Amino acid sequence: MFEAKLTSASIMKKIIDSIKELVTDAPFDCSEQAMCLQAMDSSHVALVSLKMEVGLFDTYRCDRTINLGLSLASMAKALKCANNEDTCEIKYDDNDGDTVTFTFCDTKRDRTQDVTVKMMDIDVEHLGIPDQDYAVVLEMPVTEFKKTCSDLFMFSETINITATKGAVVFTSKGDSGSSVITYTPSKDVDSSEHVTLDVKEPVNVNFSTKYLLQFTKASALSDRVKIALTNDTPIVIEYGLNDNGHLRFYLAPKIDDEENNMD
Amino acid sequence: MGIKDLSKVINDHAPSAIKQGEMKNYFGRKVAIDASMALYQFLIAVRQDGSQMQNESGEVTSHLMGMFYRTIRMIDNGIKPAYVFDGKPPDMKAGELEKRKEKRDEAEKQLAEAKEKGDAEAVDRFERRLVRVSKDQNEEVKRLLRLMGVPVVEAPCEAEAQCAALAKAGKVYATATEDMDALTFGSSVLLRHMTFSEAKKMPIKEINLARVLADFEMSREEFVDLCILLGCDYCPTIRGIGPKRAYELIKEHKSIENILAKIDTKKYAVPEDWLYARARELFLNPEVADGENVEMVWKEADVEGVVAYLCGEKNFSEERVRSSLAKMKKGRQAGQQGRIDSFFSAAKVVTSEPAAKRKAEDDKKGIKKRGPPIKKSK
Repeated sequence: MFEAKLTSASIMKKIIDSIKELVTDAPFDCSEQAMCLQAMDSSHVALVSLKMEVGLFDTYRCDRTINLGLSLASMAKALKCANNEDTCEIKYDDNDGDTVTFTFCDTKRDRTQDVTVKMMDIDVEHLGIPDQDYAVVLEMPVTEFKKTCSDLFMFSETINITATKGAVVFTSKGDSGSSVITYTPSKDVDSSEHVTLDVKEPVNVNFSTKYLLQFTKASALSDRVKIALTNDTPIVIEYGLNDNGHLRFYLAPKIDDEENNMD
Repeated sequence: MGIKDLSKVINDHAPSAIKQGEMKNYFGRKVAIDASMALYQFLIAVRQDGSQMQNESGEVTSHLMGMFYRTIRMIDNGIKPAYVFDGKPPDMKAGELEKRKEKRDEAEKQLAEAKEKGDAEAVDRFERRLVRVSKDQNEEVKRLLRLMGVPVVEAPCEAEAQCAALAKAGKVYATATEDMDALTFGSSVLLRHMTFSEAKKMPIKEINLARVLADFEMSREEFVDLCILLGCDYCPTIRGIGPKRAYELIKEHKSIENILAKIDTKKYAVPEDWLYARARELFLNPEVADGENVEMVWKEADVEGVVAYLCGEKNFSEERVRSSLAKMKKGRQAGQQGRIDSFFSAAKVVTSEPAAKRKAEDDKKGIKKRGPPIKKSK
């Protein structure tokens, strides 16, 4: 038996909306501690890692570790039925067979709606993500990061990120022109708009702008976004979930080692 | 060629080791290709009206045509191919080569007969059997690949073995060949149908060696012995032992030595002076260049060089060659994108409900598991 209730359906809606274009179906790992999800996009370039801790839920019960395979399109359909202020309960009973039930309740109007979603058989490889210290950790308002990505997307499909002790630079060079955005750590750390930057080692890496822009769909989940980088390693973009979990995106870098060997 | 019936044995005993998919799933992957196998295929398959492609001066161009367009197909899909060419054949292969020559002589005779009778279909069939890759063709293809910026690796001995060494060293993700002995040589992953024409719509077949060994419950050495029993290029087999029996025997006795000690040699004719031990050695420790030290660099194509060679010397259509090279350039850029699963490795396989439950119920038949009772629907 698995039963978890969120005070508001909006958070679930936002999560699913921000990943449903990247991942079509996903195995939700439900355990006593959290409801998690790990899935790669179809081309195996990006990885979505979601962790919704027990604290995020109003009530939470999970008798045994189970894995619920769901189509995100069907989940989005179910969640569309919910109003943002509705409570959202996710339920799976071993006796129910192959469906998960979403119950949305509008407490003000005493209305409840049950939507059942058929589960899917998913057999996927779960990737082990090593715990590592990143060379650069950058934090900024989500709106700021979104603007950076969409600005740079106009110029090129590739974004170059370099970081040195005092600054991080996002560059995008295209045929028509280029754009360079530089961030230095804010002096006024109390401002909600501040940017923090921690550089242990300089980095110089390239990523697909299209994917980064896609990740910013999660901007509705949080005020701040954390970006972690190390050379020759996937970038991590993290959106917090009210201090009770996170939605992380990992993106493999673009590698141009071949070009360097040109004579 | 290859290992007799190995794909059938894998199909029967380790179906989970085989995956089928589209070529584009392999984007960003480096792949070592057995060049001789690919060339042979091109000479057989790249044809027009049943005969090999020729240019105006009557030179055969099937091999260049195939190599050019099918390599571009791979690059267009974001794959980084490297071609590995055969060196000298191991002396163990002499018997096999002799046999192949006999077959060729036979085919030649039959071809002459068919021509006399005017049986066009038979002529075509025997002509195909006579196809062999000439030294010049090998050199021409190497020249083309270098102009295209595709790495060419010259193996000291067998190309299959060199491909496997590259895969083992992590230099490439897989060996692409139709020859199953790439697995025997220890390629972690074997890809089939990689050099086939797009028009054939053949899915790429991936065979994972680790899974084969796990499902067979065999060590690498036992697997090699199984392959020798099935039939390899290096020594004859024991007559009367087919794939089914060979698999059972290795499962039971673990090695050819043990099998020889147990089986009734009157019933099963063991070849005289059977060199299975040397064949085994050849598979386990083949003569290869150390995978770590092989430099493989994918470069930008020399467009003018390719055009001058293919169009200038070999009468290819310039328009088609140029447009294909443009396609290749685009593919190369896409190929720069790394794969997330080459940074993070697979830790476990997740099976979702209700399949997981079904599996658990199957397991429960053996061992009573703790946990909430699962009500069965009648």
